[in-house]
Amino acid sequence: MIESLLNAFIAAAKIIGLNYSFLLSAYERGPWLEGIGITIGLALLSIVSSLLVGIVVASLLTSGKPWLANPTRAFVELTRNTPTLVQLYCAFFVLNMLINQAVGGAQNNPLSAFAWVVIVLSLHYGAIHAEALRAGIEAVPKVTRESALSLGFSRSESLRYVELPLAMRFALPSLVNNLVNLVKSTALGSAIAVGEVTYASLMIWTQRDNVLELMIFIFLVYGILTLLVARAGSWLETHLRMPGYGH
Amino acid sequence: MSKNILIHLMAGATVALGIGAAQADATLDKIKARGSVSVGVILSGAPYGYLDPKTQQQQGFVIDLARSVAQQLNVKLETVAVTPPNRVQFLQQGKVDLLIANMQLTKERAEILSYVPTPYQEEGGAAITHKGSGIKKWEDLRGKVVCVSQGSNFTKPLIEEYGAQVKAHPGLPESLLALKGGSCQASVHVGGTLGLLVADNPEWKDYEVPIAGELIPSPSVIWVCKGESDFQASLDKIVRDWHRSGWLIETSRKHKLSIEPLIKQQEKVKSGKAVI
Repeated sequence: MIESLLNAFIAAAKIIGLNYSFLLSAYERGPWLEGIGITIGLALLSIVSSLLVGIVVASLLTSGKPWLANPTRAFVELTRNTPTLVQLYCAFFVLNMLINQAVGGAQNNPLSAFAWVVIVLSLHYGAIHAEALRAGIEAVPKVTRESALSLGFSRSESLRYVELPLAMRFALPSLVNNLVNLVKSTALGSAIAVGEVTYASLMIWTQRDNVLELMIFIFLVYGILTLLVARAGSWLETHLRMPGYGH
Repeated sequence: MSKNILIHLMAGATVALGIGAAQADATLDKIKARGSVSVGVILSGAPYGYLDPKTQQQQGFVIDLARSVAQQLNVKLETVAVTPPNRVQFLQQGKVDLLIANMQLTKERAEILSYVPTPYQEEGGAAITHKGSGIKKWEDLRGKVVCVSQGSNFTKPLIEEYGAQVKAHPGLPESLLALKGGSCQASVHVGGTLGLLVADNPEWKDYEVPIAGELIPSPSVIWVCKGESDFQASLDKIVRDWHRSGWLIETSRKHKLSIEPLIKQQEKVKSGKAVI
């Protein structure tokens, strides 16, 4: 059944000059389908952990304590101002090598290339989320914060129960924007041989030269994934909307 | 309705591509008119192609070949650095007229491009590993993580015949860095490059090329766009002259490349036979 559908698709594509015959070779189809799964895995893990990093960094930035805020500011600037690809190379080729040497060989190092992509993307986008959240926290009216403090909330309780829930709503559009970018950035994994969908496609087109055909597929995969993220974002926006507050 | 428009657009694009292909045999005229030939070369490291650290000039075996091609065609040489993942596109889009880029003859490549029938070398894969890795033959790579360059023709045999887990990095430097960093247990590239690396680079003294035979030794050929028979024939004459005059063996020796396959190729050229 699937085989005959595939054949029909390949024949139809051939009429308009597109060669999708790689779909018939299990050697190429398998890693390619797996690549979609790996892209989704990278995206989900990085979305969750980058948001966690973002919340922690934003709280440190707005803590009002210079010994916490200043080093965090330095981290944000360093992360935002250098290319993600350079950070990934630096992490995978330099840090990973140092870790290997320290633990006595790659077999003792639990960090795979996949893990490094998640770590680098989480830190990079975490810093960018933090700036969006900071804007949100600073948009919380001073009176609201003062009321919370006068009601006996500590500084961190006020942040957790009063400011962050409001800040999250203010920052949501830019957070979703960041997350869409993050999904697309998972393609950087191809630079360190993580088998995500861009890498899997590249492995096929360097042998078969069907660049256009695979590009169409890649566009579809990322297009659908980012659409889902954007949809989830707008659902959250409506769901979290407080009548009479903000928009 | 919109589907029809799409099909029309696609058909239009196909026709446009078809016309492009029909005119492609004019490459030789184009080169003469322009007064220069654009050669795609690979700068993946000595001895094939590299930047001389002192002069910043391109040096190496493929650069010498490119110079000779320009000289014989009596035009100026323009080299364009290509990498394995982009070289086919560079050729097909006309950014380069020909490729002298360490690209061996394979069935898949011959379906989409044309090649000069007389090869200029024969190259196979070699594996570089840390000394004492216990890898002695290609079969020992089963289940091991092996790094290659993206676009390498060693990927398929490594996976299908020897069951290695292949990780393809953007280029040779990244693949070698990954080996040094311990992310892979072996790195497989053309023999000439790795041989030179372990022979006289002190940074690589803890590494070796432990496997005796080469992986899929195949003829290295010059690639041109599909169907350019005139251009192909004039390049073939140049390559046969390289063999006949002994210049090719001389140049290979200068760059410390193996000359045994060349001696066999030379014999065939001298007796007027096809080499492959």
